[in-house]
Amino acid sequence: MPKTSSTRRRRSEARGKTAGRTNPSIAKPLAVLAAVVLVALGAAYYLQRSADDQAASAPAPSPQNADSPISPQGWSKGNSLAKAVLVEFVDFQCGACAAASSRMAKIASKYGSELKIVFKHHPMQRAHGNAMIAARAAEAAGLQFKFWEMHDLLLQRQHEWTKVPDAQTLFLRYAAELQLNLARFRRDLWTKEVGDKIYRDIMEGQMAQVRSVPAFFLNGKAIPNSRDEFEFEQRIVAGIRSLQ
Amino acid sequence: MSGNPWSIRVMVLAGFAGMVDSGYVGFHSLTGLLIPCGPAGGCDQVLNSAYSHWGGLSIAWFGFAFYLAVTAAGIFGLSGFRQVFRFSLIASLAAFLVTLYLLYVQAFILQAFCDYCLISALLVFVILGAHLALRPWNRTRESA
Repeated sequence: MPKTSSTRRRRSEARGKTAGRTNPSIAKPLAVLAAVVLVALGAAYYLQRSADDQAASAPAPSPQNADSPISPQGWSKGNSLAKAVLVEFVDFQCGACAAASSRMAKIASKYGSELKIVFKHHPMQRAHGNAMIAARAAEAAGLQFKFWEMHDLLLQRQHEWTKVPDAQTLFLRYAAELQLNLARFRRDLWTKEVGDKIYRDIMEGQMAQVRSVPAFFLNGKAIPNSRDEFEFEQRIVAGIRSLQ
Repeated sequence: MSGNPWSIRVMVLAGFAGMVDSGYVGFHSLTGLLIPCGPAGGCDQVLNSAYSHWGGLSIAWFGFAFYLAVTAAGIFGLSGFRQVFRFSLIASLAAFLVTLYLLYVQAFILQAFCDYCLISALLVFVILGAHLALRPWNRTRESA
């Protein structure tokens, strides 16, 4: 009993102390928190901008003409000496890019002698989690001279790998199908050189204000990705004729 | 819960460092550009893997929300609102479990490590340690 009464007394004293204490104000910690968050966000943004500026100072390939930020360099099909150049920015995980690939194959076979078709990477990483590794897979295959084979495979089998958490395993299977050296493919997949090449394409796309994929530039000028196949073809024919 | 202000300060500092770290990765994810990588060297592989986004959003932003909550708990705790630590302890335990899972993903699935993720993992361990030192579940300590 005495123990119980002393406990009650202690609790009562504690309550009294609490009642006498002034409640801490919420305004001060809130202001401090806001300041800390602003400083943290500012520091993160500043560091990110500095890193990007450093990377952007790396030499970029020279553009086709002075008005356009698009260079005619990259993986190409058709006539590499042709005056008319069609550049396509592609994200391997985008459905519209897969749909456009068959149209591009037709154009390459029909106008390949008068046209150079250049491929550029534009992985939309925010929307497409496997887009970057797919771009890397194509580049790694390219180092073994099978860029276009991997390009076609990635777009044809897009449905197989878009949602998988471990796309690398699937891409290794594709590499095996293409009879690539798997050890080298696996190593090249994550090299800085491959990353830098994709990064340069992304930078070019950003400078050319690519907002959606696939994006097409004919002789340095953007042309809309028309749903009408005939209309799209006519634009390309006009682009070829204008340079003849 | 009278003492251990050092652990609250550690919590605030770790929370701040975590906000900078995750904010940096988060801003990079918005630009879609490659991120410079340190000694671990696997940043591209980890941050561009399918594990790096939840619901289309970079997990760095979820990390940012956690560090923001911990920093808020620390700052409010230093101002006398000690009861907030019970909630931030739960958040820290959840972050600890997520961190273990992400370390497993890096080590065994992707077989690549990202410096920013390792820094974040270290900060989560520090934050959980600071919470355990505070013992916010101990009600008698708080009322003493």
